[in-house]
Amino acid sequence: MLLGVAIYFLSGAVDELRVYQGATVAVYVVGIASIILLTGYSGQVSLGQGALLGVGGYAAALLRIELNAPIWLCFSIAILTAALAGALLGLAAARLSGPYLAGTTLALAVGLPSIANQFGFLGGEQGLLFDVGFPPLSFGEDFTQYKWFFWIASLATLIAIFWLQNVMRSRYGRSWKAVRGNDVAAELAGINLTRNKTLAFTLSAGLAGLSGALLAMTIGTVSPSAFPLALSFSLLTGAVLSGVTTLGGVMIGAVILVAVPDIAEAVASRFGSSEAVTNNLPGLLVSTLLILTVLFVPNGPVEQMRARREHRVNNKPS
Amino acid sequence: MTRMNRRTLISASAVLAVAALTAATVPAQAAEVGVTSSEIKLGMTLPMTGTASPGYNKIPGAMKAYFDYLNANGGVNGRKITLKVEDDQYVPTQAVAKTNKLILQDKVMALISPLGTANNKAVAASVNPARRGVPVLFVNTGFSGFADTKKYPTTYTILPSYIMEAKIMAEYIKDNFAGKTLGLVYQDDDFGTDALKGFASAGINFAVKVPYASGSQSAATAAGWVTKLSAAKADVVILFGVSSATAAGLGTAAALKYAPQWILGSVGGDATTIKAAGVPAGVLYNAVGASFAPATTDMTDEYVKLFSDIYAKAVPGSAFDNNVLIGMNSAFVAAQAIKAAGTNPTRKSLMAAIESKGASFASAALLPLNYSKTSHVGYNGYWFGKYSPAGDLKPVDGKYVLYTTDSGSGAVVKSTWKRPAMPAKGLPQ
Amino acid sequence: MIQLLNTTLIGLTSGAIYALMAMAIVLVWRSTRVINFAQAGLALASTYIGYEALQLFNNYWIALVCAMFAGAAISAFIEIAFMRVLLKHTSSGPIASVAPIIATLGLLGIVKALITMYWGGQDAVIKPPLSNTGFSIGTNTLVFSPMKLAIIGSVAVLVIVFSIIFQKTNIGLALRASAYAPEIARLAGVRVDFVRTLGWALSGASGAVAGLLLTSNGNGSFSPESLEFSLLLISGFIAAVIGGLDSLVGAVIGGIFLGLVTSFVLMYVSGSLFFIAPFVILLLVLFIRPQGIIGVKAGRRA
Repeated sequence: MLLGVAIYFLSGAVDELRVYQGATVAVYVVGIASIILLTGYSGQVSLGQGALLGVGGYAAALLRIELNAPIWLCFSIAILTAALAGALLGLAAARLSGPYLAGTTLALAVGLPSIANQFGFLGGEQGLLFDVGFPPLSFGEDFTQYKWFFWIASLATLIAIFWLQNVMRSRYGRSWKAVRGNDVAAELAGINLTRNKTLAFTLSAGLAGLSGALLAMTIGTVSPSAFPLALSFSLLTGAVLSGVTTLGGVMIGAVILVAVPDIAEAVASRFGSSEAVTNNLPGLLVSTLLILTVLFVPNGPVEQMRARREHRVNNKPS
Repeated sequence: MTRMNRRTLISASAVLAVAALTAATVPAQAAEVGVTSSEIKLGMTLPMTGTASPGYNKIPGAMKAYFDYLNANGGVNGRKITLKVEDDQYVPTQAVAKTNKLILQDKVMALISPLGTANNKAVAASVNPARRGVPVLFVNTGFSGFADTKKYPTTYTILPSYIMEAKIMAEYIKDNFAGKTLGLVYQDDDFGTDALKGFASAGINFAVKVPYASGSQSAATAAGWVTKLSAAKADVVILFGVSSATAAGLGTAAALKYAPQWILGSVGGDATTIKAAGVPAGVLYNAVGASFAPATTDMTDEYVKLFSDIYAKAVPGSAFDNNVLIGMNSAFVAAQAIKAAGTNPTRKSLMAAIESKGASFASAALLPLNYSKTSHVGYNGYWFGKYSPAGDLKPVDGKYVLYTTDSGSGAVVKSTWKRPAMPAKGLPQ
Repeated sequence: MIQLLNTTLIGLTSGAIYALMAMAIVLVWRSTRVINFAQAGLALASTYIGYEALQLFNNYWIALVCAMFAGAAISAFIEIAFMRVLLKHTSSGPIASVAPIIATLGLLGIVKALITMYWGGQDAVIKPPLSNTGFSIGTNTLVFSPMKLAIIGSVAVLVIVFSIIFQKTNIGLALRASAYAPEIARLAGVRVDFVRTLGWALSGASGAVAGLLLTSNGNGSFSPESLEFSLLLISGFIAAVIGGLDSLVGAVIGGIFLGLVTSFVLMYVSGSLFFIAPFVILLLVLFIRPQGIIGVKAGRRA
């Protein structure tokens, strides 16, 4: 509630570029949350989240183009379609682990988007347009389209995160944590491994689909190049930077992913470096941050702070 | 609210607050976006890196060379023209992101020569420069749809459309290669389908058509194209793709000893780029090519002489090729448009200047510009030439014979237009 | 008929290169149980170093050897300076299984960014040393040339050399032992750390050759974003997984298999399937044989 009010005021005060970036942050928040669910809670590595975002994005775009459906319907169908894809993937992946799972999801990340080149109605390399239309006139003249994106994205994100938190605290969340800890013991305790893992994939994919639909909205187009391998890697990076095992820090990763290219460009142009350096500095910085995080703060800043606080509490001299 | 939720809220609010504060320090606006008392800022997106970039990534250097020359000679009405370049790697979604940045963050006055059919379409749909009143000058694509002033009211083309090019090519084929088996390699998006439309309307039938997905061109995939072309026994093959695709096709065909009569589309026909990709000059020899500007080796042409001098001083060691010539030409036309926009140019006055005076702007091309209140079309024709033994495009028999047409059903006619003399020192008057 | 032959030859050549890449991945997996996603990036870096060496020495084969040494050195350096520290910090905790994967991905990002920063602006071309004009049979020309023959030959030589090292020498035995049971191997006197670094070094050399031969398979020009290198990353990994990840022979078989099947799919089904085909092949293989073609089924731990 408070957050909603804060967003309303800030979107008024901030210029259009920031609003656009805010919408992108929302996209990443949902995407990273989907990875936190899958990897942090359920312990399964997916290098192909970008492909699931693609499924959601294309579903939303197609619905809009073919049926001119209202936005909320497009998003809902995007979630469901992606969730279905996730369920299929989860069933296949339940038998795989470690590098085999990583390899399959990697191939998925690269292969799935390029299916768009095979079927004409998917638009090929050029892609399809996803037009959510202009904000209602009742919002006034000044309400730009990017602000409208920001509102839609923030609303969707808030709902998604709220829902996810409830799921994580439910018995499903506990059973995932159990499987992640020791899958043999969990099975002995009566948890059906396949169903458990597939459920995680399904829900995670649904979130990814929402993220993909939001991404399609902000860019305005869906095409294979909107969901490249780099996107999957970025989301994974963002999840690690946020702390892959907990939802609390999810904003951190998302903001870093959006803010670093900005900062890198400012730094590079200050020092007047060549085109090559400017274009690649963001990638370099993000990758370095990732490695530093994995080395020194592997559980993420939020967990680290919590662990330190508990440590201090436990070791207080009595 | 749980502790996790609160923490998320706090971090979120803090971040948004910081963003708001930094944004609040935006400096006071100038009279028109991108225009100050000393400078006019233009923005450009194109592939500087990536599979499609060879050849095209010389354009910014060429345009900057002209603008620097112009600025050293007083600029336009006392203002320097600066160019901000962003690399979109020929990917439409990146073009959208970078154009957003140019308009919202760098606050350019106008976009100039953004490259790519799919890219420009995505930008038009997503960033919507038309709705923001941002002029999109001299788009670096021949997609015929951009001439539609209702859909793209602030966009001005300069290159002849692909439909025009296809129709004129069809005439050349009918005159010179009647009865031969024809093959076509084209890009699998609006760039390619525009050409298909033009060929169909001119009544050309291809025995084999090979589409390639943008970004997939390479020596390996070209082997597949050549296998299909030679299986269909095509004697005359049109390569209507970007430079890297054309080079891949030519190089691989040579390695597989397949040597039809090649016809190279204007987009990918730059000889220097093709040779730089490793294609031997002997493969290019006798291929047919087209252009609307003078041949880049024709030092008797006053524009070629001046522009190549300027470029050689600005970017020593870099070859003066078709990309450079056309880039500098667009910069020259843009400078004249800005000058005609008056001593206090605005986006509206810039566009009005092109529409009212554009047809009389000087340019290096051997064709007139066709701007008017109802037409945003630049050039509308080509001359045909053959590549020399050294692999340079020269007009047939040394004489430029220009053909013009439209993007509709108009006939292809020979042009009798004579290019007026270059204004003094190649500067706007 | 000619088309069939050509397709097979195209598949064999690209398959040989994939096999090299797959071997590189398997070498790292066998010595440290880590999948090194950065391997393709390191291969690219080694190729650029080969390019610089070519400018210096003007001889392709010397440049190839330089690239191999560079690849080996860089990989060894990463193992010593980076992977050991990483594995020590993350051997336990919820992120344990994921950490090496994420770390090597991060490494890939850094390597690619550095490469593009330094060499990105140039149009790098490594002229293939042998002609790429196809052999002729009568009036038909094969998609097979002296250069492609050399590629297959080089790969074959390397495979034989590696097999000998692994099967017949003490070092090879030590490599295998260190991967499966490091403590026991240490007790038996094996210098486990040195052997692991050696595994990475061999992997780097193999990757370097793969990268260089990849450029020679075409017209010699390459860049960080070129299609072939992206394919190399995916295909090398998929080939390794198909082959079963645990044996070098499997890697070679996986590579050739992937190369041939992809080539046929591209020629006879559709030319734009080059990213989907490896994916589908992987799915099919894992579905039929989850442990890969030559893999050993992992036992249950309970």
